Amino acid sequence: MKMDVSLCKTLGNFRFATEFALEGSRIGIFGPSGSGKSTLMHLLAGLHKPDQGSIRIDGETLFDDTQRISLSPEKRRIGVVFQQAHLFPHMGVRQNLLYGYRRIPKRQRKIDPQALIAVLGLESLLGRNVTSLSGGERQRVALGRTVLSCPRLILMDEPLNGLDEGLKYQIIPYLKRVFDEFDIPLLFISHSLNEMRLMTDEVLEFQAGQLIGHTTAEDLARRRMGNSQVGYINLLPLGEYRQIGDLHAYSWGNQELVLSVSGEGAAGMFELSSKDITLFKRHPEASSARNLLRCRVTKLFGAGNRVGVEMECGGQPLVAQVVGEAVDDLGLVPGRELVAVIKASAFRRLY
Amino acid sequence: MFDFTPTDWQAMELSARVALTATLAALPFGFAAAYLLVFSRLPGKALFDGLMNLPLVLPPVVVGYLLLLLLGRNGWLGGLLEELGIRIIFTWKAAVLASMVVGFPLLVRSIRTGMEGIDLRLIQASRTLGARWYDSLFTIVLPLSGRAILAGASLMFARSLGEFGATIIIAGNIPGVTQTIPLAIYDYTGAPGGEGMALGLCLVSIALAFAVLIFNQMMVKRLEREHPQ
Amino acid sequence: MLKKTIFYLMVGLAWTFSAQAAEVRLSVAASLTDAVKELVATYQKKTPNVKILPNFASSGTLAKQIAQGAPADLFISANPQWMQFLVDEQLIPADQVRAFVFNSLVFVGEKTRKISAMTDLAPLARIAIGSPKSTPVGQYAEQALTAAGLLDQVQGKLVIAQDVRQALAYAERGEVEGAFVYKTDALLARQTVILLEVPQELYSEVVYPLGVTNAGLTHLPVRAFLDFLGSAEARGILQSYGFIVK
Repeated sequence: MKMDVSLCKTLGNFRFATEFALEGSRIGIFGPSGSGKSTLMHLLAGLHKPDQGSIRIDGETLFDDTQRISLSPEKRRIGVVFQQAHLFPHMGVRQNLLYGYRRIPKRQRKIDPQALIAVLGLESLLGRNVTSLSGGERQRVALGRTVLSCPRLILMDEPLNGLDEGLKYQIIPYLKRVFDEFDIPLLFISHSLNEMRLMTDEVLEFQAGQLIGHTTAEDLARRRMGNSQVGYINLLPLGEYRQIGDLHAYSWGNQELVLSVSGEGAAGMFELSSKDITLFKRHPEASSARNLLRCRVTKLFGAGNRVGVEMECGGQPLVAQVVGEAVDDLGLVPGRELVAVIKASAFRRLY
Repeated sequence: MFDFTPTDWQAMELSARVALTATLAALPFGFAAAYLLVFSRLPGKALFDGLMNLPLVLPPVVVGYLLLLLLGRNGWLGGLLEELGIRIIFTWKAAVLASMVVGFPLLVRSIRTGMEGIDLRLIQASRTLGARWYDSLFTIVLPLSGRAILAGASLMFARSLGEFGATIIIAGNIPGVTQTIPLAIYDYTGAPGGEGMALGLCLVSIALAFAVLIFNQMMVKRLEREHPQ
Repeated sequence: MLKKTIFYLMVGLAWTFSAQAAEVRLSVAASLTDAVKELVATYQKKTPNVKILPNFASSGTLAKQIAQGAPADLFISANPQWMQFLVDEQLIPADQVRAFVFNSLVFVGEKTRKISAMTDLAPLARIAIGSPKSTPVGQYAEQALTAAGLLDQVQGKLVIAQDVRQALAYAERGEVEGAFVYKTDALLARQTVILLEVPQELYSEVVYPLGVTNAGLTHLPVRAFLDFLGSAEARGILQSYGFIVK
């Protein structure tokens, strides 16, 4: 998808002005609350009118104040998944899902409802009342409803925000499956870096109504490492595992990671903070930590007052962070062999 | 007290018929007015709102008199209507009109409150899913205002059953044609010895009002069961 | 602020209480409105220290009001029925009732309308009459229509008015094709004319009884006013309005 945007809008004290051009299918809009992400969403969808500017998607002009073009939302074919799902309370799940589908001409119905229902795991919910669904279920139905309207682009506005903390990432696999399988461009709006990295390739960074950066999620994460409470989050997709006592050993490259995550062992996405990786010059004789990994430095990068150490461990990438002095202490240069020591409890399951 | 004359039975039947007709006829207008007041951005909304609420604060007799000025033989529209052969004053239609005008603000207020409670996001969502404004209106706004519409209609119906001031001015007191229960009671109150009959009709009036209230409650409960909000 | 309020309250109370002193209250049938107003004005000029307060409405309504406790010294009804009602209720002594004036029933309407007999009324679309339940004129009209065998035909066309004056007003405004009123009312009409004098055999004689209530008997100024009502001057005024004085 190609998008050309130039917009400005003033809402009371808040002034939003931006201009960008991008090409891709997994775009992120990142920024803290109040940065204008929601405003941008409303302007793109046609729910608010810009003071001036233009919006062009794949060659079609959706808005241009100089040419007096302003398509109403129902004509833009841009689907929106809102933060609070906003399912129609007077209709059941099935009716909600088919609302948009019924309103597009038959020849535009490129998506098979049955396939979508399967991908989102909605079969068991079909006969139910929307008011009895959990937060995660509501978001899945909302996504299904939007996808079934076969839009040219889907805007997801902080979709994980309203979900329970411990469970919210569980919806990510559903999101990934839908966008992989049905090939619809996605504009994902969030203030969470993790969500950006999981769902998008390119990221537009906003602050106080202005565009301050246009980069990749990965770059963003690395740049923020030094100022972040949680450092750089290593996102580790892990699969096969074996049980060792009450710990799980997941295969990772040609090594194993030992985790003490609660609950059952299962494949999924795990996170490990760069702060929780201690680097040793040589293999320690014995250690309480269960993970002692042989690594080789591939790159060093500055991030605030910390140094990011990008390593390659048995074919897998890992990023740790150290203070400036440590670089000298350990003689960190690309190519240096190290041992990364990580406690089993340092890992956290995302989903 | 309850040995009603044929005219009295006519009054009861007439009351019910006039109230029902007035309510049903006013419903689409009331719905449209409430929609305009809540969702549109037309200029002059405040003025429209004020005009519409006027019958609520004016004495019904004044409303009746203004309608008479408008539609009477010598009235502003009266001449035109007479040329077209349409006669409204002192007919059953006038009684319906009196009830419609007097009850309209009640209907609109109720529907409006219901509409204001609808999450705007739901309407926005429907638009992004391809619904035009009238589609949203019928598939989202109308069902979600159901309860408020019902409450407004019941209120208006009950008000119509009791309408007197405007009715007597433009519809007159014509037994069998426009003499509704309130007018019949008024007639009896002027008659020495008519207390018993007046009381009998009063009790009928009360019973009808109760019936409307109970019906309203039943429908509200049913709506709640089907669509818990 | 408080002192001022109390002062004005006292003044107001004193004013309302003082009003009771020399007053004569009349309850008079609506058809006598203009005549009685002139009578009262004439009397007041002679006796300015006595206040005459007339109350005009349909006779039935007035009788009801008095029965329910409304203050009245004199009651003039447009038919004997409601005078008898108050006598039965022991509010008016039977010996205090006498005939005051007489009247006749007519049908008024627009000048151009052709009415020569009662049967010509049947095809009309709307006819105003006073409420038969509470006005004598309505009862006389209903009586005449029944005697003429027309009542069933005109059912549904009869617009009920609260009193004879309202019936006349409907006809004057053209909202009805015609109205049954008294001859005396017709003489006051501007837009309508007498189309038909209802044959006397169809209805009872219209006699207006006058009665003094128990309250009126104890009231000194009432006597003087009554005497005035029987005087030649008063008779002259009544006749000028079209009432028959015997």
